[in-house]
Amino acid sequence: MKHTYDDEADVRTTVLIRVMALFFVGIMIIAATTSPIATGTKEGERAPALEGKFYNGSGWSDFNLESYWDSNWEEGNISGQWVVIEFMDTDCPYCVSSAAEMSSNSNAFSGNDPGWDGAIVNFIASVTELDIQGHDSSRGEIIAFRNKIADSGETCAGSDCGSRPGSQHNFPYIDDLDQDNMKKWNIGGTPTYYLIQPDGIIAWSSSEHQGEELINAIAALVPRAAGGA
Amino acid sequence: MDPNLQLMIYLIPTLVGLLLVLPIGRSLATPFSERFTSLGNERGRVFFGLILTCLAGIAVSFQTLWISSKISEGGNFCASNTILSCDDVIGNSNYNTDPIFGIPWGGIGAAVFCILLYFVYSSSKEPNANWVSSYLKFGTYITFAGFFVIALLIFYEFKMEKICQYCSTAHLANIGAFIGFLRLMWMNQSKEWNTV
Repeated sequence: MKHTYDDEADVRTTVLIRVMALFFVGIMIIAATTSPIATGTKEGERAPALEGKFYNGSGWSDFNLESYWDSNWEEGNISGQWVVIEFMDTDCPYCVSSAAEMSSNSNAFSGNDPGWDGAIVNFIASVTELDIQGHDSSRGEIIAFRNKIADSGETCAGSDCGSRPGSQHNFPYIDDLDQDNMKKWNIGGTPTYYLIQPDGIIAWSSSEHQGEELINAIAALVPRAAGGA
Repeated sequence: MDPNLQLMIYLIPTLVGLLLVLPIGRSLATPFSERFTSLGNERGRVFFGLILTCLAGIAVSFQTLWISSKISEGGNFCASNTILSCDDVIGNSNYNTDPIFGIPWGGIGAAVFCILLYFVYSSSKEPNANWVSSYLKFGTYITFAGFFVIALLIFYEFKMEKICQYCSTAHLANIGAFIGFLRLMWMNQSKEWNTV
């Protein structure tokens, strides 16, 4: 009798092909119906979570960065609010000297300055305590730095925190003294700045643009009513 | 479609599969044993339940992978203020990938359930082949290892104070698969493999 099948055939090959086909069909459906964006701290990636208690001028409360994001935002739309995050240490001399720049930038792009017709840019500072001798921070020091309180007994980079350049800051200061956020964001040094789109995607990072000023990045990337950016 | 309603597409086959691999599955399968003769014996019933469980595990794992991809786009699927909120769990970038390779848990689940399906499906096709006992052992070991992953993921959910119902269905599928593989392994080691 003539056999029409192979006696030596192994069912495992057929099953393997079927199961692999099932797996690749699943992968292809996901690839065809989604466009995933990686979470990370490089430009074009989705900003990771930023957690901790923040000081807003009256007290400490839970911070939620995600509350800033608008998933329906579209590029060029000026109604979406952008976010600038500064990773800093109140005992870092360069952070202290750039406090004036943060004062003027946060005022200039907050929507209250008639000279700026672009999208609102919210400023946030995440304050860490670097593992360097003499860098001893506390929540009292964060408040003294933010509010520029003179003779508070708190010293920022060797001087009275109230003597730092610039005016009082009105934006949130997050307590990251345990370096949790700093590690999560892979911060190599302070100050480090991120400009984030209203949909939570990192548009600009100071670590990827050494020497470029934050104000120039805002002017170049944040859309304006007149179509400036 | 409501995400909890959509979950039933995966949960019902998982539960049916789980019941079939358990000894109580006999009474469940009896009414269908005349039409589906393989359900008339213990081995065929466990094989069928296990294949169903693995297919449900693959499907729900792909669904969680799809949800995590959608969330990364900025969308949402099953966000909720209640404790059952799979978006909060699957969308949490601190916990939604394995800590070694950074692969999404849904992708790992889909791949593992495909491997399990390969073991059980090929064993059911040729139950007296000499490699079947090895395949059943591999399936048992893999699903047992899955308990440690489930423990880790439940720990993450505990930390987030949220429960991902889609992930829990995949965990249930792993439990069902473990029971199925273990029972088949025991049956295969007994002399009753061809009579049960």
